[in-house]
Amino acid sequence: MSIQSLDRELKKGSAELLVLSLVEDRARHGYEISKLIESRSEGALKFNVASLYPLVYRLEGRGWIQGKWVEKAGQRRRRYYRITAAGRKVLAAQRQGWKQFAEAVRRIAGVDYA
Amino acid sequence: MPDWKGIVRHHLAALKLEGSKESEVFDELAQHLEDRYQELLQSGVSAAEAERIAIEPLNTSPSLVEALSGARRRPAPEPPARPNHFANLLYDIRIAFRGMRQKPTFSLLVVGMLALGIAGNAAIFSTFNSLFLKPLPFPDSSRLIDLDDTAPRWNLHYVGISEPDLFAWRRNNTTFDGMAFFDNPDFNLSRMGPAQHIRGAKVTREMLGVLGIGLTLGRNFLPEEEQPNGPKVALLGYGLWQRLFSGDRQVLGKMLVLDNEPYKIVGVLPREAVFPDRAEVWVPLQPRDDGQNHGWYLGGIGRLKRSVTVAQASADLLRAHRARIVAGHRNEITSPILTPLRERYLGDFRTTSQVLLVAVAVVLLIACVNIAALMLVRSSSRAQEVAVRAAIGASRGRIIRQLLTETGLLALVGGIAGVLLGRLGLRAIVSLLPDTMPRWIDFQLDMRFAAFCILVTAASALLFGLFPALQASRTEMSGALHVSARRASFSRAQSRTLNVLVVSEIGLALALLIASGLLVRAFHKVTHVDPGFRAENVLTFDLDLPEQKYAKSEQLVAFYRQLLDRLRRAPGVAAAGASSAPPLGGHMGQFFIAEGDRPLGPNENTPVVLQVIVTPGYFDAIGMTVLAGRQFDEHDGESQQHPVAMVNETFARRHWPQANPVGKRIRYQRDPDASWWEVVGVLHNEKHYGLDGEDRPAVYIPEPQLPWPLSLSVVLRAYSNPESLTGPARQILAGIDPDLPMYAVQTMTGRLDRSLWVRRAYSWLFGVFSLAALVLAAAGIYGVISYAVSQRTHEIGIRMAVGATPREVLANVLRGGMALVAVGTAIGLAVALAAAGLLEKLLFGVSPRDPLVYAAVVLAVAAVGLLANAIPARRAASLDPMKALRTE
Repeated sequence: MSIQSLDRELKKGSAELLVLSLVEDRARHGYEISKLIESRSEGALKFNVASLYPLVYRLEGRGWIQGKWVEKAGQRRRRYYRITAAGRKVLAAQRQGWKQFAEAVRRIAGVDYA
Repeated sequence: MPDWKGIVRHHLAALKLEGSKESEVFDELAQHLEDRYQELLQSGVSAAEAERIAIEPLNTSPSLVEALSGARRRPAPEPPARPNHFANLLYDIRIAFRGMRQKPTFSLLVVGMLALGIAGNAAIFSTFNSLFLKPLPFPDSSRLIDLDDTAPRWNLHYVGISEPDLFAWRRNNTTFDGMAFFDNPDFNLSRMGPAQHIRGAKVTREMLGVLGIGLTLGRNFLPEEEQPNGPKVALLGYGLWQRLFSGDRQVLGKMLVLDNEPYKIVGVLPREAVFPDRAEVWVPLQPRDDGQNHGWYLGGIGRLKRSVTVAQASADLLRAHRARIVAGHRNEITSPILTPLRERYLGDFRTTSQVLLVAVAVVLLIACVNIAALMLVRSSSRAQEVAVRAAIGASRGRIIRQLLTETGLLALVGGIAGVLLGRLGLRAIVSLLPDTMPRWIDFQLDMRFAAFCILVTAASALLFGLFPALQASRTEMSGALHVSARRASFSRAQSRTLNVLVVSEIGLALALLIASGLLVRAFHKVTHVDPGFRAENVLTFDLDLPEQKYAKSEQLVAFYRQLLDRLRRAPGVAAAGASSAPPLGGHMGQFFIAEGDRPLGPNENTPVVLQVIVTPGYFDAIGMTVLAGRQFDEHDGESQQHPVAMVNETFARRHWPQANPVGKRIRYQRDPDASWWEVVGVLHNEKHYGLDGEDRPAVYIPEPQLPWPLSLSVVLRAYSNPESLTGPARQILAGIDPDLPMYAVQTMTGRLDRSLWVRRAYSWLFGVFSLAALVLAAAGIYGVISYAVSQRTHEIGIRMAVGATPREVLANVLRGGMALVAVGTAIGLAVALAAAGLLEKLLFGVSPRDPLVYAAVVLAVAAVGLLANAIPARRAASLDPMKALRTE
């Protein structure tokens, strides 16, 4: 597997984890999610309109997150997503998986994880 | 500010989601672009540049439409990461269930058609299985062989075994482990509550060993009990033991009074002792080993030695038989005939049930063809889905497996429903079976049945699933993706396949309809045969006079005279008589010659003659017609000086083809000293062996002249409802002899009905199956033509736009559809002509090429085909060309 495709795989695998984590504590709309991913990763991870929504819809379709239209005074309506009970379970499992993965990589490669 | 929603709609034009969902997606994406745009503006980017940057991801993500449309539907469960076959299967099954829920009508249609097809097969197969495949309830039952004598020159396939044959076969054969012989008499059981009539068996002591069963209690018969006039002992049948003695184990040594004679109970038979059929008690057969032939009246059963074939045993037995002839005994006409036990008793049902099996199989085949067509149509609308799957890396095998899982699941549901329905069907069939069916037939469902059902279901699934799956998996990937927004259209190969399917459906249905038409016509013919007697308003019952009490012939004659006199005086009785064999009442054969017959050569055929002993009044009671001369009066047969007889037409034609039989004389053939009887009348033939049976010569004798059979059937003709005579008749009988049970009480119409049961059942079953086939085929034509029309909407629009009239469109569509019907009809006719010969045995003289049936069926199929075509054709003709052109 080339470095590039490994990168893609890692990103794809982690994307779900990222979105779930971001809506874990409060409901967020799509643009907010993409901004948070970009800012918290300090620009290392970016999602645009074309990459984010298929992912969000997929998570929603699986019943891991749930979207809801919210209208606030003076703004256009936005769709806010929050995690579901099923989503929490998946999130916990994915966190565990990533922890083990990162730990394994650290042991072998001597790379520290954050 | 840019029109974000317009931009999104433009980019995602190919996204075909449900109206409100689509608009929500557009809203959400537009809002996102707006947010991004505002942010860019705030960071100091120019408006034009901000718009470009915001929109860029839409332009650089070519698969966005697919990604969104896939994600927005209820999502597919993730396929397992590693190639795990079981997990793959589970995944496929989940997908398949979802597919079924998404298309409920389609799924119901498939499951319903399949369930009906499988139900028919399950019911008929389980009948066939019970009759012909299941082992009989005896150990190693395939070695059990029915023994009998055959006499083709007497026109009798089975005549029964004579006592000299019994001893010769038993002593000289080398191929049987054991042979047992039996007679199947009825007994009057008395001194045990009300008199009752039971079926018994006189058997030789090898019977238990041959059947391979032991006793529940007691011992087998002893050799000395088999000597003529030996001790009277009995083995109690299990059912009778329970009924009379409540299963008391102290029953041994008690007495049973059969036909007024005491029999000591020496043993109890197990439940499995169901042969000879319906025997409730066994007593020893006491054959006379004096070389004298006392008639052919015994049955036989043998257990073949291991690895001996029936043919070898036949040859060996023929050798043993011939040795007896050489030894000087006169027995040159009969020869042994060996038949596997089951074949002997059920052989008549074999053709019938095989023909029915073929019929239901054809119905199922048509159902499968229909389902295959449905699947094919559906798969064309799924071409896009398949193409996407292939595009993201699914192998062809993987896709076929997925599609097969779907059909497998449909088949499974259909199969289960079908088997449940089939069990109901079997119960219905069994409840209608004729009385003559041996009791040792067991209709419980077994592993063989389960295996058959699984096999049929799997075969159907493969039949209707594999073909469309192969076709679908061959879908041109890029093509299907390109046209994804438009209606995926049918390839030429696929429409050709559909046409072949429809043509074969029509062909099969037509062939089946012809077969059922022939059978129904035969049934109609049989029921319209002149029975030679009037069955309406006739009640019959049987009496069996015990030899002890009625030892003298005068007693017999007096008994019947008294009984019939009293019955005639009872209210509601129009006529009364008695006979040794009323119509459908069995065969007692004799051989007669007429005075002046030319002597027969040693190898000439002498067809057996039915001998019937009758009391005065019998012919009126049964409603037979005297064609010439007179019928018996009260004094006929009383004087040994002037014995008389009546004959039927067949007998008269055989002996006096030109002359008037009345006044001619006949006598028994075998005894040159027998007295000559004068023929006083000729009777119209009665259908003695059933309406579809053959006509045999018959001689009728007045009872006082030959007061020999102790059991006669009493025949009462009522003015109306014959059943109302049962009670009064029973009272009158009890007034004369309270120990005498009357049994087999039935109306003559009931007897006739039952005698036709099998024919009626298979004719109707066949009719039902073929109608089902026709309906299925019609649905097939309708579906395929409708689909073709919907595919051609655009083309038809163009035709109409350039001037085609609705009439021409109608004709065009009809022509296409009826061409299929015509080809199917031609094929079906060819199949029917080739196959109908197989039915000949069942057709009762109706020609397998009966033009009326063929013409009627072809017309009916054409009419149904026209109807099924007309609906879509009219729809095509009434298209609005403008709308049609816009359909893209």
